[in-house]
Amino acid sequence: MSILYDEGQHAIATESRRALEGRVSKDDLLPLLQTSGRYHENFWTTAKEQGWTALALPEAFGGLALGLVELGLIAHQAGRSLSGAPFLTSSFGAAKAIELYGNDTQKARWLPGLASGETIGAVAFAAGPDPLPARPGVALKAGKLGGRAVGVSGGLFADVAVVFADEGGTSVLAIADLAGVARDAIDSFDNSRCIADLTFADTPAETLVTGEAARTAALHILALQAVVTAHEQTGGAEALMETARDYALTRKAFGQPIGAFQSIKHRIAELYGLVELARANAIHAAAREEQDDFIIAAAAARLSATEAYDTAARDCVQIHGGIGVTWEIGLHLHIRRSRTLALEQGSSFFWEDVLVDRLAGGAA
Amino acid sequence: MTDLETYRAKAAAWCESMVPTFGKAARKGLAVEEDLALGRRYQKAKFDAGYAGINWPTDLGGQGLGHLEKITFEGEEMKHGFPNVYFGISLGMPVPVLMQFGSDREFVKERVLKALQGEEIWCQLFSEPSGGTDLAGLRTRAETDGNGWKINGQKVWTSWAQYSDYGVIVVRTDPTVAKHKGLTYFWVDMKAPGVTVRPIKLAGGDSHVNEVFFDDVKISDDHRMSPVGGGFAVALATLMIERYVATDSAGFGPHLDLFVDLAKEVRLNGRPAIEDGRIRQQIARNYAMRAGLDSINRRARLMMQAGMTPGPEGSLNKLVAVRSRQKLSELALDLQGTDAFAFDEHASLKDDWASSWINAPTGRIAGGSDETLLNTIAERILGLPQDHRPDKGIPFNQIPA
Repeated sequence: MSILYDEGQHAIATESRRALEGRVSKDDLLPLLQTSGRYHENFWTTAKEQGWTALALPEAFGGLALGLVELGLIAHQAGRSLSGAPFLTSSFGAAKAIELYGNDTQKARWLPGLASGETIGAVAFAAGPDPLPARPGVALKAGKLGGRAVGVSGGLFADVAVVFADEGGTSVLAIADLAGVARDAIDSFDNSRCIADLTFADTPAETLVTGEAARTAALHILALQAVVTAHEQTGGAEALMETARDYALTRKAFGQPIGAFQSIKHRIAELYGLVELARANAIHAAAREEQDDFIIAAAAARLSATEAYDTAARDCVQIHGGIGVTWEIGLHLHIRRSRTLALEQGSSFFWEDVLVDRLAGGAA
Repeated sequence: MTDLETYRAKAAAWCESMVPTFGKAARKGLAVEEDLALGRRYQKAKFDAGYAGINWPTDLGGQGLGHLEKITFEGEEMKHGFPNVYFGISLGMPVPVLMQFGSDREFVKERVLKALQGEEIWCQLFSEPSGGTDLAGLRTRAETDGNGWKINGQKVWTSWAQYSDYGVIVVRTDPTVAKHKGLTYFWVDMKAPGVTVRPIKLAGGDSHVNEVFFDDVKISDDHRMSPVGGGFAVALATLMIERYVATDSAGFGPHLDLFVDLAKEVRLNGRPAIEDGRIRQQIARNYAMRAGLDSINRRARLMMQAGMTPGPEGSLNKLVAVRSRQKLSELALDLQGTDAFAFDEHASLKDDWASSWINAPTGRIAGGSDETLLNTIAERILGLPQDHRPDKGIPFNQIPA
């Protein structure tokens, strides 16, 4: 079953849109591209003030006890406006791992800070092309982590990380305080993501889940994040589709708006189709959080959202012609972000396999 | 259970009970005429069971229920491949428009009851050789003839005209005004002198569409269903009647499960094709696309249940689903290699890849080509300008040919 948004959910959408459109502009975001290690502080302050960090966490720890549907609405708007930091998704992933798999002490220690936003969380699962590696680059031994987690979004500022690690040949999901962990900022094409390599050296860590269950848990966390990201991607794609439409209505060539030419109209109409499919899948996946088919719904949402944002980023620039590739107009912010979001939480290759494994009944 | 769920369960049970008599197995090997005869019996059975005219008024033989009940029933019915295709257009557009615009109410009631019971079939005479998408550019003309009218011209792509008893038709009654202002809407007796129906054999081998010729076909003025010159509005109303029908994210082709099954059976490079990345990608992409359409359709139903008008995204189904069905069907044939060559012209579109493939082009064009649908999305939903139209505002008889 899919859902229709209720009144409260519509209000969340409207309010987050108002807040972000007022406080995040491309003029703030462009300079961040050219410096390493900075994020858009006003974005993150807004997220904390508005309670978005607390939205999907339990009330007992300062959360608002709403869910993926509501967080998705915020993420959708963050995608439209271009989020100024990755923490909304990274902290959510870390917090959900602690909430679902942690003990009471761990929850009490980390969740209140993650809910208020004073603590920033990160999820360190991937190793290069493998979002859930068979042999993680980080190892847990006698309660201490060693090794390197590469390309961790938000890693530069995170206070706590949930790490997918190897423990004597089996997988383990562990939680580590990042104070004292060495971080190397990666100079990226999308620097406000604050991506860093984390080097663990005798870093104290606590186990959340071990063995095959650790893999299942990690996939669940990735899927939760993927649904949030799918909303963000859909928001970005929607904004680009509208930008393309608006430009096609105003820009004239050969004596008429370029939007009267079918080559332009059809390109934008195709974007509309991709955006609506992505939206439908994202809403559906968010509503399936507690259900058996959640992973399938998340994978479908992820695939269509990545396709929508990637295509919209390409085509919106194409419709603009020369002005579209200038630094100042800022469409490249979306080009960059579409790629970042396509890579965070696992590429389409990964989610295609996750999906087909399940559709084929584990035949492959 | 909600009322609608109860309704669905009852409908499902009824459909299930009809399978031995009217299901795919019962239809196998029947000639078209035999299948049509079976279809008429099926339509009568629907009527008797209260599943014909579900959302039509009770005084015209309908059930007086809502749109939701109708698409709920259709969703169940669609699963079984019953012989209902002959009545889809008839009960979908011409008969509802007759109910709405027919002036002789006794005549209307008689026709509606016969159509609902499968005794009579109506067709819709809109498209012409000079254009299908450009409806208002049609050339078939009606001239006054005594107190009535005389029709001359040709229609084309008329579904089931060869089995139709009546048709609704848009014709040009005034060529001296702008093209959409000179049209008038009538009903015609398809058995009247001067009406000639010639089936067109389509690429897939079947002949459900026809050319229809009108040579001095005389009709009285009581056949008129619009003001003189007001036919375009009724034509648009006809096309709007069935905005929300039960849709199929498989594009009326095979379900994706069948492709997955095929990929598990077939070996590619010595391994099951389901392990091949190219095949896996297609399965994943098609699943995501179909799941999106399914969610759009479910949201549309929820909106209708809540008394709201569904969003315009429902219009994506035909564009997206049929186009991708065509490609997936090609791929399914590729997977089978030389085993794919065997072809049964009468196999079902819903479970035979070759049949789905060869008929997909028809599906992509019927009811609006991809290009037409994209124009509609661009103009109606996104507010982009119309194309350059050199015939705009010019009297029909002065439009450059």
